[in-house]
Amino acid sequence: MTAANENNVIEAVSLTKIFSDWWGRSRVVAVDNLNLKVTNNQVFGLLGPNGSGKTTVLKMLLGLLHPTKGKAFVLGGDSKDPRISSQVGFLPEESYLYPYLNARETLDFYGRLFGLNSRVRKARIDVLLDMVGLSGMASRPIGTFSKGMARRIGLAQALINDPKLLILDEPTSGLDPIGTRQIKDLIVELARRGKTILLSSHLLADAEEVCDRVCILYGGLVQKEGRIEELLEQKEKSQITTTCLSERTIEQIRRIVEKDGGDFEIRPPMQKLESYFIDIVNKAQKEKKYTSGAVNQYDATDAQRAAAMSDVLDKLVSAKVETEKLEKVDNAAVVETEKVGTNQNVLNQLTQGPEIKMPEPVEPVNKTEEINVQQDIKKNILDELTKSEENRNE
Amino acid sequence: MSRVWAVAKNSFVSAMRMKTAIVFMLLLIILLPIMSLTTTGDGTIKGRIQSFISYGLGLTGLLLSILTIVVACHTLSTDIKHKRIYSVITKPIRRFEFVLGKVLGVVILDFLLLVVFSSVIYALVLQMPKFAKANAEDIQQLKNEFFTARASLKMSVDTDMLKARVEDAYKNMKAAGELDQNKSKEAVMNELMASAKYSMFSAEPGGMVLWEFNNVKPFDANDILYVRLKFNASQIPPDNLLYGVWYVGDYRQVQSGEQAKTPIYAVPRKDVAKTVREFQVPADAVAADGYLAIVFVNEPANNSTIIFSEEDGLEVLYKAGSFSANYLRAVLVIFSRLVFFAILGVSLTTWLGFPVAILCCFVVFFSGVINGFITNSFEYIAAYLQILYKFTIKPFILLLPKFDENYNINNYIIDAKLINNGFLAMALISLAIKSFILLIAGFIIFAKREIARVIV
Repeated sequence: MTAANENNVIEAVSLTKIFSDWWGRSRVVAVDNLNLKVTNNQVFGLLGPNGSGKTTVLKMLLGLLHPTKGKAFVLGGDSKDPRISSQVGFLPEESYLYPYLNARETLDFYGRLFGLNSRVRKARIDVLLDMVGLSGMASRPIGTFSKGMARRIGLAQALINDPKLLILDEPTSGLDPIGTRQIKDLIVELARRGKTILLSSHLLADAEEVCDRVCILYGGLVQKEGRIEELLEQKEKSQITTTCLSERTIEQIRRIVEKDGGDFEIRPPMQKLESYFIDIVNKAQKEKKYTSGAVNQYDATDAQRAAAMSDVLDKLVSAKVETEKLEKVDNAAVVETEKVGTNQNVLNQLTQGPEIKMPEPVEPVNKTEEINVQQDIKKNILDELTKSEENRNE
Repeated sequence: MSRVWAVAKNSFVSAMRMKTAIVFMLLLIILLPIMSLTTTGDGTIKGRIQSFISYGLGLTGLLLSILTIVVACHTLSTDIKHKRIYSVITKPIRRFEFVLGKVLGVVILDFLLLVVFSSVIYALVLQMPKFAKANAEDIQQLKNEFFTARASLKMSVDTDMLKARVEDAYKNMKAAGELDQNKSKEAVMNELMASAKYSMFSAEPGGMVLWEFNNVKPFDANDILYVRLKFNASQIPPDNLLYGVWYVGDYRQVQSGEQAKTPIYAVPRKDVAKTVREFQVPADAVAADGYLAIVFVNEPANNSTIIFSEEDGLEVLYKAGSFSANYLRAVLVIFSRLVFFAILGVSLTTWLGFPVAILCCFVVFFSGVINGFITNSFEYIAAYLQILYKFTIKPFILLLPKFDENYNINNYIIDAKLINNGFLAMALISLAIKSFILLIAGFIIFAKREIARVIV
């Protein structure tokens, strides 16, 4: 049995979960007749206060709980099916990790569960550790990590299989603002690459920034669902943002507005605390102050940040491409090759789906260069970024 | 399979880094060599080696069983308790693969530890005669009675014949009107049976006891037979010694009076009562068809009745294998038990928490150790409860593994008794079946259960 619409990555049909005690008494309805559709390439937010059933929904989708009634489809099937779960990444509400394993061993373990070969595992682990800013602590046991650092490893393990669908339970809880910012950037970038993301959160500001669509739960019931712009748009108000205006201009505008019969209020726009905080930490990092915590390769502007995240993801998926290319070298003479303009495009295409033909590298020289890049992964992401731009210019 | 390995490796690493395994290893590494130096046994070099191997194998088996139970109950239950399983079970791994991986991790740990410790014991045992500066005679004795594997034969009583005889005796008593009216037929029959057995295995002064063995398996006729005996006496003399002559050979030749084809050996001995003693006879005493008889004649001068027990009064042993092969088989049996406990622990924790599961495991372990005692003690319950027992507790006890009596593998090594193929196969297969049932039950329960806890 599959979901009717292939475009629905997640579909829940009157999903209900009723918890009862050992004797079957004092029942609690955690989720009540939930109907949910998450379409391809959507960032969907499950919002609600504590105990509203967000996590229960996610657990039912993942097969960790059995619905009392109704059915949940993930990627058109049952999430317990290995063919489905191999395309899903999941970050639980807290990072429940093996404290006696170190960061590298942890990611290696999860990589093995996906049946990735050692070459792919190694390349991806390097990229992911770099991405979450823990490459310097790869051989420290997870048990000694702070909550936020463990959370970063949790995020890394959710990405190790380059998932089509990412399910994030409270992704930003326990993270510092920079980590939060990174997760948000990551979500945006993943969405740009055609992934589908389902996240639950009660941190509304975070959800507002990244989600296309949200569903607000209360008491296990859907209170409101829709596109975030539609829900938040205040149709009775207008907002104008300009550079600093003189007293005279303001007075003129006030007169115009009052003549039109509207309310008028003026004040300088506030910088968000988040961006202010990030500026301060960034400055400290540039001065190379010592920290035993996570170190983020942080980039100042939005554009740079997005580019950096994009680069990390490129490297992540390129791990797969790399090995497949090398494995195919033997029959290179027989296979028809396809010329592709830039490597960037190839990698982007490859993340779209398995049906795309595997192109051969244009020149063998480039290939070795790429391998070098893979092996030298611990370099600053900014360096990598400029390098890849140079390559593109060539 | 690579997924199963990943989980196995993880649970193995967990056990090693939990330090439980390290503690047990240190304990054994320290205790074993100390024991090899301090055990005395009965004072002889053979006694020392026997008591060392008894304690060494016993301790290794016990500690590794406990370790297995602790680790097996811990590995899956903590994953569930600390919710680590959330991010594992949502990966493309089947639930049974996960359970299998957990079991495999514990089994790998057991395998490594058992290999290490059984090798240490083996090496120490081989070195002990050198350390003790044993003389040539001692070494020869060790070679014959310890560093070997001997098949053992016990006489099986022909119960049908005995029953028929008891029936006759009963009828005679009835005809003669000698029956006690207060006793039931059953009680009288039991008494008659006991006395018949007693008379079979006891010799008045000047009397004799006969043991007959068929199917003494073909082996090298130049070898030696070992007769192992233990008896009690109605009156024990001051010097504790009782005299007798043992005849070993084909008794039928004497009865038919024909020309003797195989020799009959006469061995005059003086022995202490209630102690296991052994003497040797050339193996050519066995008839060509595998028949062997042993006759004990009680010296009239003893002035005491000598009584052998039916179970362990007399045994015939002969060399049938090497010590190393026999030791390896014993280790294999111990390993199969550890595998069983690994499966038991993991299977139980698919639906029980750590404390309950570990309690169940220890109950199974200790009832295995005293299985014979439990079954024997239930034999004496009242008749009307007997039916209830037969259909409830008895099948349950039969399901439990047995580690005592015949299944106490250490005794085989101590007495240099061959662990024969049939016994080995039976022991392994019965444990394999029990383990398999447990494993399948664990798979099914784990596949059906809800992994996540109910949190609203």
